Amino acid sequence: MILLGELALWIALPVGIWGAVAGFVGGRKERGDLVLSGEHCVYAVFFLLVLTSAGIITAFVTDNFEYWYVANYSNRELPLFYKVAGLWAGQRGSLVFWVLLLSFFSAAAVFTNRTKNREFMPYVVGVLLTISSFFLVVLLFADVNPFERLPFAPADGRGLNPQLQNYWMTIHPPTLYLGFTAFTIPFAFAMSALLSGKLDTRWILITRRWILLSWFFLANGIIFGMRWAYEMLGWGGFWFWDPVENASLLPWLAATAFLHSIQIQENRGMLKVWNMGLVTLTFLLTIFATFLTRSGLIESVHTFAENTKIAFIFLAFMGVMAGCSALLIAWRYPQLKSENQIQSFLSRESAFLFNNLILLGAAFSILWGTLFPLITEGLTGTAIAVGPPFFNRVNLPIGLALMALMGIGPVIAWRRASRRNLVKNFRMPVIVGSMVVAALFLRGVHHGMALLTFGLSAFVMTIIIVEFVKGTKARARIEGEGHLLAFYHLVSRNRRRWGGYIVHVGVVMIFTAFAGVAFNRELIQTVDPGDTITIGSPFGHEYTLTYQGLSSPRGKNMVRQAVALMTVERNGRPIESLTAEKVLYVKWESSPLTIVGINSYILEDLYLILENVNDLGGAFENEAGAQRATFKVQVNVLVGWIWYGGFVVTLGGIIAMWPSRGSTRTAPRTKTGGKRPALAARS
Amino acid sequence: MKENGKFFVGLGGVALVVTYLIWTGVSESMLYYLTPVELMARVEQDPTFHQVGVKVSGRVERGSWSRAEDELLHHFTVIDLLDESVRFPVEYRDILPDTFNDTENVDVVIEGRFREDGVFEATVVLAKCGSRYEATAEELLG
Repeated sequence: MILLGELALWIALPVGIWGAVAGFVGGRKERGDLVLSGEHCVYAVFFLLVLTSAGIITAFVTDNFEYWYVANYSNRELPLFYKVAGLWAGQRGSLVFWVLLLSFFSAAAVFTNRTKNREFMPYVVGVLLTISSFFLVVLLFADVNPFERLPFAPADGRGLNPQLQNYWMTIHPPTLYLGFTAFTIPFAFAMSALLSGKLDTRWILITRRWILLSWFFLANGIIFGMRWAYEMLGWGGFWFWDPVENASLLPWLAATAFLHSIQIQENRGMLKVWNMGLVTLTFLLTIFATFLTRSGLIESVHTFAENTKIAFIFLAFMGVMAGCSALLIAWRYPQLKSENQIQSFLSRESAFLFNNLILLGAAFSILWGTLFPLITEGLTGTAIAVGPPFFNRVNLPIGLALMALMGIGPVIAWRRASRRNLVKNFRMPVIVGSMVVAALFLRGVHHGMALLTFGLSAFVMTIIIVEFVKGTKARARIEGEGHLLAFYHLVSRNRRRWGGYIVHVGVVMIFTAFAGVAFNRELIQTVDPGDTITIGSPFGHEYTLTYQGLSSPRGKNMVRQAVALMTVERNGRPIESLTAEKVLYVKWESSPLTIVGINSYILEDLYLILENVNDLGGAFENEAGAQRATFKVQVNVLVGWIWYGGFVVTLGGIIAMWPSRGSTRTAPRTKTGGKRPALAARS
Repeated sequence: MKENGKFFVGLGGVALVVTYLIWTGVSESMLYYLTPVELMARVEQDPTFHQVGVKVSGRVERGSWSRAEDELLHHFTVIDLLDESVRFPVEYRDILPDTFNDTENVDVVIEGRFREDGVFEATVVLAKCGSRYEATAEELLG
């Protein structure tokens, strides 16, 4: 199986190259047989990559430490699902994983378009297989072959880094990678549109769901990563503005901008060049993310491998891709003229454009801050770094502006909005927002930025709720339906719009959660069994933690474990207790891993860290005298709303992506923006 | 055209604000990112450099770490990656990351102030256990 996998990897490259050539030539010469051959190559590459991945996983599961990659990322006692996750634990495997997902999405795109949109397919096949082939060349010729063998077979592997021995390891990287690779499909269709000259909005309509899918996985991947970082000590909390974290945020920001700007093109026939540029930028940022994560070019706490050779190959690839698409756009520029012009400053397209500019501004500032040490070192010889204060400072106002736009966007009309209508639509939300601010202020919340955030989130929430209520009522009245049915029909007849609003609700919840950080409390204390630690919550109640001492069970793949137990009371009433641990993993005996304890409530988390055990060796041996320990206790305000918001984003995303019956949504819009009577009635 | 004009003024405004935010953000939060050798040279040249916040990347000297018995206070020594004779003691009053130890060659990035008494008062310690991530064939044999 392993040898078969290795063989498959070698076969995949010529198949990929042939398929790419067949696609391009078949498209150019209009040779259907070549195009078909190219499409078969897409399926073949996917099949071969499945074999390759199966080979690597087999090597992991059968403890075949003769392979360098397995020896470096596994050991005999490692639990099975971490062995399977070994596929993406290191650089070599994750490159295979990348091509696997890319070839899967490519095959899915070819399959779903086997009978329609045929004029796009030749070049789509060409572009997709070119990108796959690039990764295959890297895998085979850039010293990162996952099947490289050692001259001997070690008795055991070096084990997986304990920080990665966490269930999120099996969830977070695949989700993010799905998001990264899925975006290649819209990019391929965009390039195909340029190459074939089919420059109307067709490529956007075809790939709309792919764009959403990619966005959806990116959003979830980022949120999962935040949750993982929140549970891990030493990763700086749920968000640290670490280069690797930033790298995953950049394509998401660009994809978010793109999701909005394509709606302007669909509705108003504008921004064609901009959208071509944005799809290229987003695609390049997905490549940039792998590049930054895997090259080790910039210091990061999450960098698990370094390979500068790879860095330069990736840079060259990004350069070539950027150059090609820039040339194509320049070539087709005359055909990409706008069909319309902005008619009014007060219009939805204008709001969307501001959203685009602000999102890209955020992306640019984050990119700039991340690369700043490299830039300054290159220019002046001395590296200058900027840290979280920079990113927070720049992105806080940007985030607030985005929130305001999330409120304005839904109620402002396309083309030209009337002032009277705006005043009418904004009166109530502004009042609600102001009342929330006033109420919080009177309750003792005096943090300016936090107040502004809470006020804005109330403003946006009100607008969205009012939209839902108005839409439902209008539909109930016109169609004579009950309110529940009307609501269901309202959402299901225009899933993208209402799903989008639900996503906005989730995003606002997440932004609100960020503001909670301003109210966090923490305390460090050294205690003996029986001692208590008391910490107050900003909501007025008090937690009392009583230290019950350490115990030393032993889990799988662990050498030793010291578990501290704390019983907890809230205002004197016992609630769920907390444990916090130090664990020594097999093969990693010199650095114990700290496992935090978290009790989550609706408005706050009680977070416990076992910072130090005075005599850890004694504690591991269950010695009665070795119990003295130091704890850090935190009350993390509103942090749960990140995850609740994440669920809402997921829900909204699924609603927006859900396949619709019939093809009404893809029909070209009429002058009134294609609004159904029920919806037109509200404006 | 009037509306377009208004619109471009708006876009230009956004671009200006973002630029302004980046500009002030950089000037207010920038830190020199130095190696221990560069830090020593800077301080010698300009003693006011003791007041400035800096970020330094180096390596934890083996066996140099100790923790105060009943207080969250860590002491360790950072050495230059290339010139091991260049070193300085570090004080840190927060929780160290799990990847930090003084038994393997752990690379660290520390942020803080290099005090006049020659002690680096760190406010951030990031540890990267470089040698442990991927091993060569010889290391696997041993």
